[in-house]
Amino acid sequence: MMSAAAGAQTIVSSPGPERVAVTVYRNPDRGLEPLNLEWLGGYALVSETRRVRIPAGESELRFEGVTSGIVPQSAIVTGLGGAVLEKNRDARLLSPGSLLDASLGERLTLRRTDKATGKVRVQDAIVRATLDGVAVQTADGIEALRCTGVPETLIAAEVPQGLSAKPTLSVRVRSPQPVERDITLSYITNNFDWQANYVAELSPAGDRISLFAWLTLANGDQTALADAETQAVAGKLNRQRVWVPPGEAKPITISCWPQGTTSDIPEDKLVQLLAREEIQVTGSSLSAMAPPPAPPPTPERGGGDMMAQEEKLGDVRLYRIPEQVTVAGKSQKQVMLLKRPAVEVESVYRLRPPPSEYDAALERVLVTRNDSGKGLGLPLPAGGVALFGRQEGRRVLIGEGRVDDHTIGEKVEIRLGEAPGIRAKQIVAYSAAGNEQQLIVTNDAPEPRTVEIELPLDARGVQGAKLVKRDGAMLWRVRVAANGSAELRYRLPR
Amino acid sequence: MRRLFLLGTALCAAAPLFAQSAVPPPSQTAQGDVAVTIYNNDRALVEDKRMLNLPAGRSRQEFRDVSAQIQPETVTLNGRGVGIVEQNFDFDLLTPAALMQNAVGQEVTLVRVNPATGAEVRERARVLAANGGVVLQIGDRIEVLRDDGLPARVIFDQVPASLRARPTLSVTVQSDSGGARPVTLTYLTPGLGWAADYVALFDEANGRMDVQGWVTLTNNSGTPYVNASTLLVAGAVGQANPYQQRYYGGGYPPPPPPPPPPPGRVIDRAGTETAGRERLGDFYLYPLPERTTIADKQTKQVSFLDVHNTPAVRAYEFRNGWLSTSDQPLSVNTVLRFSSSRNQGLGDALPAGTVRVYQRDARGNPQFVGEHAIGHTPMGSDIGLATGQAFDIKVRPVVEERTRLGNNRWRTKMRYTLTNASPKPITVDLVQAGLWGDTRITDESAKSERLSADEARWHVPVPANGEAAVTATFDSRY
Repeated sequence: MMSAAAGAQTIVSSPGPERVAVTVYRNPDRGLEPLNLEWLGGYALVSETRRVRIPAGESELRFEGVTSGIVPQSAIVTGLGGAVLEKNRDARLLSPGSLLDASLGERLTLRRTDKATGKVRVQDAIVRATLDGVAVQTADGIEALRCTGVPETLIAAEVPQGLSAKPTLSVRVRSPQPVERDITLSYITNNFDWQANYVAELSPAGDRISLFAWLTLANGDQTALADAETQAVAGKLNRQRVWVPPGEAKPITISCWPQGTTSDIPEDKLVQLLAREEIQVTGSSLSAMAPPPAPPPTPERGGGDMMAQEEKLGDVRLYRIPEQVTVAGKSQKQVMLLKRPAVEVESVYRLRPPPSEYDAALERVLVTRNDSGKGLGLPLPAGGVALFGRQEGRRVLIGEGRVDDHTIGEKVEIRLGEAPGIRAKQIVAYSAAGNEQQLIVTNDAPEPRTVEIELPLDARGVQGAKLVKRDGAMLWRVRVAANGSAELRYRLPR
Repeated sequence: MRRLFLLGTALCAAAPLFAQSAVPPPSQTAQGDVAVTIYNNDRALVEDKRMLNLPAGRSRQEFRDVSAQIQPETVTLNGRGVGIVEQNFDFDLLTPAALMQNAVGQEVTLVRVNPATGAEVRERARVLAANGGVVLQIGDRIEVLRDDGLPARVIFDQVPASLRARPTLSVTVQSDSGGARPVTLTYLTPGLGWAADYVALFDEANGRMDVQGWVTLTNNSGTPYVNASTLLVAGAVGQANPYQQRYYGGGYPPPPPPPPPPPGRVIDRAGTETAGRERLGDFYLYPLPERTTIADKQTKQVSFLDVHNTPAVRAYEFRNGWLSTSDQPLSVNTVLRFSSSRNQGLGDALPAGTVRVYQRDARGNPQFVGEHAIGHTPMGSDIGLATGQAFDIKVRPVVEERTRLGNNRWRTKMRYTLTNASPKPITVDLVQAGLWGDTRITDESAKSERLSADEARWHVPVPANGEAAVTATFDSRY
């Protein structure tokens, strides 16, 4: 019946898309972590235009060349109208095990080769069992496959129906007449990701940066998307993880009676092999967790730069690469995202001291506001920041940090890491009334530095120290003189 | 050419044996008229009407092509004039080891191959034992099989009747009369499940949306169901012993698909309308329009809902935890609100699944803008799906003041700064959570609505490219 039903419908293959568009989305759970090329948690929407020719009657239209990370539940086929009866995704894969499984009860050819003479003998054999060891029936009787010490194998005449090399996406269609038309197949696929990579160069005076950003997108899938209209979406979208049944690929299980093994590997060696495999698995998961960080990009100048165009999409932002590009499989691609020649910034050194005794360096933060007055005023997608300075004409890396998504008008703070020369030391005197805290900030630079100390809401300055309330904290803001120090005394209630 | 010739001769030699073999060609299924009812919780009821040629009196009937994960204790067989004597589920599998165990005490043929010349020597041998090695008696010698590592084929004369290639269901029946007649085999099996997938294309400018609904069924039961009439039940029938799992397919059992994620706060108001669908008790039924073959390891999608131009609006929500303060503005959730009502809605009950929302970009291409799971949703419900976070609309909650008023009494002043960088005015639903106990709002800059003991909500209009602020003072025990 199955063969009859399958025989009645024609199989039409669509080998690949004519045109393809891809929109890459960030991993919503990645936070500010850098891209991990081994483990891309983002995703992409792929829209393919395919030219298909469908015969009259019922047929199965198979889509080849889709990504392997496809979420089949999300596939949409438009352009065929009511002709689509159902969408299928088949994950029964062609493998040695499934080939034998599907041949259960069928007549195959058993081939034996004599090791000494090279003589080949073939005979018919019916596969009688495949679950735990293979039993075949020949004209001689019942035998177990590969339990004899004679090289032997089973040969099939054709691939059984319903087995394919990769999970296959198809639609069953019914059309009263043959049609040829362009259809669109769009689907969500895993194993893509993107982020912005900012490269900033600090002016000699330290009050301005020239800001440049790459749109860095990565495809962790084997499938290349050639000449694709490429977009990236900035913002955080909700994602519902769905379970995609993986393709089932089984090896042939060979098992014999006790000591009947033909394999030349003694049992203890087998255990070793298995153990080694386990180690490999652990190794790969380790490398998946801690990849080498992507090298910092360096900006290119001059010529006609191709720059991504920004537009609003609902409540998020879409960046469109103006030309078609090829997003190759297992690759990372960068195009220019934005450029701002002079952005006004302020360097502040910040600390949130604990209530206890303390001695450490302060964190350097670049502060600006995302508006045109400061030389910015455009949406800033999340990503990494590399800050460079110039030293006798040479570029030097001053710090690296990360920024989250920032819309227009927002305060932007780029944390660049510790500044070893700006330190704070806190001495605590415990008393019944509260802890008397003494905080001394020192500056080893030949220029003055702006320091912000954020204290809990119930901290009170003593001996004339002025604290102001800001963002749910008490703030002490002070300009520490060149090669100088500043002192704050405050009290925390017990 | 040579191979073909050899094949031909082998075929001739083997012909008598194959004529006797009772194995039907596997390309033909033994299934008859199959009806499958699939529930959401990885469970299905299979009804298989087969034509059986029964002799009069007692006979043993084997049922092939039943689910590889069949729950044999749930099997029932019905047919006119057919009585059941007993039902058996045999999982004594045909393996090389089982063949040898069953051959103990019997004779087998041993073919020894000379590794140097390839010459074969045939001997009859009696299997004495198969314990940690096979002990054979050959004439007057006692030998251990392949102890010398030299090639030796063991040929068994027959397969014991009790050994099977696959676990097999057999029923011994008592029939009134001989002849072919239809019998119905019914059983439950795990490995089949379904969920809904929705595609919503949202037109924000016009406040409309098109929704397509697909049922997605998956078959991991290890068996195809050929030309089956399929019925999907929107619900999870209780399972007496949900942790019991059977799998006879060899190897490790496939993992069951994870249960649908908790839908969260999706239904704002549960509907009370009855959808125009078939019902079975408390469950809605979704029959597939045509018979179809559900292949093993297949995910199948069939359309069940196609609604155009239903009203939908975008809304914004922000929920702040108790004493939660942030030095960075936080994005608000963007929520798609619509109804499943007959009037101004989707006009249907919605089975549990995932809603994927798309919007057109500046060039008119649909782009994905987020997804969310929904549970089984009655018709007439108001639905709010949080599809993501808004890039341009943010809230900064700040604890401005925290004063201890006495033993177990605190006064907390909160300030929420709402910013809107988009060129149109919006309204944000601002929720302060964590008010459980006897927390009171003693002072507030706008009137709040107490949703529950735990939550208060403000509707805050925020002008285009502007800012708004809400302040509130809480009197609480903590």
